[in-house]
Amino acid sequence: MYLEIKNLSVDLGEFKLKNINLSINKGEYLVLIGPTGSGKSVLLETIIGFYNQKEGSIKLNGEEITTLLPEDRNIGIVYQDHVLFPNMNVYDNIAYGLKNKNIPSEEIDLKIKEISSIMKIEHILNRSIETISGGESQRIALARALIVEPEIILMDEPFSALDVSTQETLTNLIKEIGNKFNTTFIHVTHNFNDIWNLASKVGVMENGIIHQINTVSEVFSKPTNNFVADFVGIQNVFEGIIEDSSTSCAKVKISKNLYLYSSDEDICSKIHPNEKVTVAIRPENIIFSNESFESSARNRIKGKVIETKKSGPIVQVHCQVDDVILKGILTRNSFESLDIQKGKDIFLIFKSLNVNIIDTYTTFKS
Amino acid sequence: MRSKFELLFIGITVTITLIFFITIGSMFLVPSPEGFINALFSQQMIFAIGLTLSTALVSATIVILCCIPLAYTLSRFDFPLKRFFKIILDLPMAFPEIVIGIALLLFLGNYGIGSILEFYGIQLVFNSTGIIIAQFFVALPYATKSLYSTFNYIDTRYEFVSRSLGYSQTDTFFNITLPLSKEGLFATIIITLSRCIGTFAAVLFVGGGILMKTETLAVSMYLHLSTGDIDMSITAGILLVIISFITIAVMEKYTNDNRNQMI
Repeated sequence: MYLEIKNLSVDLGEFKLKNINLSINKGEYLVLIGPTGSGKSVLLETIIGFYNQKEGSIKLNGEEITTLLPEDRNIGIVYQDHVLFPNMNVYDNIAYGLKNKNIPSEEIDLKIKEISSIMKIEHILNRSIETISGGESQRIALARALIVEPEIILMDEPFSALDVSTQETLTNLIKEIGNKFNTTFIHVTHNFNDIWNLASKVGVMENGIIHQINTVSEVFSKPTNNFVADFVGIQNVFEGIIEDSSTSCAKVKISKNLYLYSSDEDICSKIHPNEKVTVAIRPENIIFSNESFESSARNRIKGKVIETKKSGPIVQVHCQVDDVILKGILTRNSFESLDIQKGKDIFLIFKSLNVNIIDTYTTFKS
Repeated sequence: MRSKFELLFIGITVTITLIFFITIGSMFLVPSPEGFINALFSQQMIFAIGLTLSTALVSATIVILCCIPLAYTLSRFDFPLKRFFKIILDLPMAFPEIVIGIALLLFLGNYGIGSILEFYGIQLVFNSTGIIIAQFFVALPYATKSLYSTFNYIDTRYEFVSRSLGYSQTDTFFNITLPLSKEGLFATIIITLSRCIGTFAAVLFVGGGILMKTETLAVSMYLHLSTGDIDMSITAGILLVIISFITIAVMEKYTNDNRNQMI
């Protein structure tokens, strides 16, 4: 592992990071998400060495860096509001990290030329930082962090103060940099687009703990608990009881007449009838149909439309099934062609693979 | 069109400022021109001006050198009893200057370490050294408070970024923190200088208020008032007002220039 954090705890009095375990490989892009105040920024600033950990260890590229001073860790940081030094112009901001390394000024010039060409900021090198735009500031902050060739770059909501088109441009730029230099990134964000566009791994935090850290598809399809499920937008989370189970499939009783089939192999082999579980279904995995039809999808349920919510090109449809409300989404075109209206009976069809058992009241996960 | 609220507040501001201006300005009308000129160029007044400026410059320099680490420590670091230390440093601002004067006189005089110092031929009271010490004790809390606010205002993330780029805490302090606190530091220097020039009670006690020896402008004003020499007393007062006006005007100009540069 390139970066390995084990059992890290930080006590800041009013806020604590608790038992953080995290590992990423060289060149990976970890995105940390979580509500405000969950400890994402504190985690970044602990990795870089601004907060002392109470317990635990941090290893970077095989070297124990837990007790090293921030200046000795070779980790770069880029903040949301760029934090460019106002007492220096653009050139001096970028050159700052090189100036204490006894590098000849000609070499510094060359390096700045190279990085500013990648960042497309050659034309503003002599400008005062008060006269540059938000997008340019973020490019400069990135250039300043990259030019010293850090082992890893930490980014604390780097795009949140930028307009959408600048965000897209910078996202592409970061992808380019990641590919070119095999840079490892940890990126804190509230914007899920950053996950789709950049992440190879996602971590979900709340109240100083990491609930789940895994690949994007794993976190979004198989959240490990209710919090993660809720945070990543899985709106169908139900408690139920295992009615029947085999090594590859489980039948879960959600309500009197509602049974769901799940074929999550990892979990199905570990659960037993009568166990209480929580299941999650992503709304986009539900297919709506006016008629029931034979298919490979094991879950075919008849429900009554109780609410529709239009949001841009998509429509969210809430259906009452027994005493449970299932939420699905579909495009406006499909919504109109199926003539979905409040009170209409409709079939909801989804694969057992898309029914994830995310939590049980036993301890099988440990 | 100004609102009633705006007009009311401007009115209050103008009225209070005028009361201040008239009160202070009335002092300029008391001495006759000849009396003022004679007092200004008297040997005693020239001595008082020289002593005031020289001691104030020395004490202000020491205050600034001490308040930088004090203010930075209080702003950035946590340590046991920090709150207690902060209260102790703020305390002299809350009680009358005369208390500092008496405390210093007792501590530096024969009730305190005076006799020990005298044994080594050192005397810290009733001379210009005593004046500098008194000015230092009076001005340091104000300077620390002012610079503490300045350091608090500087985002610590500038320092974080600098350190992430390989600079030590010391280098970061001199490369980033201090240049960013330039404006606040300048204001602190002016405040300190003004406090040192204007210190009266503490200087009177520790310096002893000896004519032509420990006679600063503030002390001179008091001594001459007590002997009924109004021209000398008011001239010393006018000089204090002029010096203060110049220092504050310089500060205003400097801070405005900086603000305009930022815009």
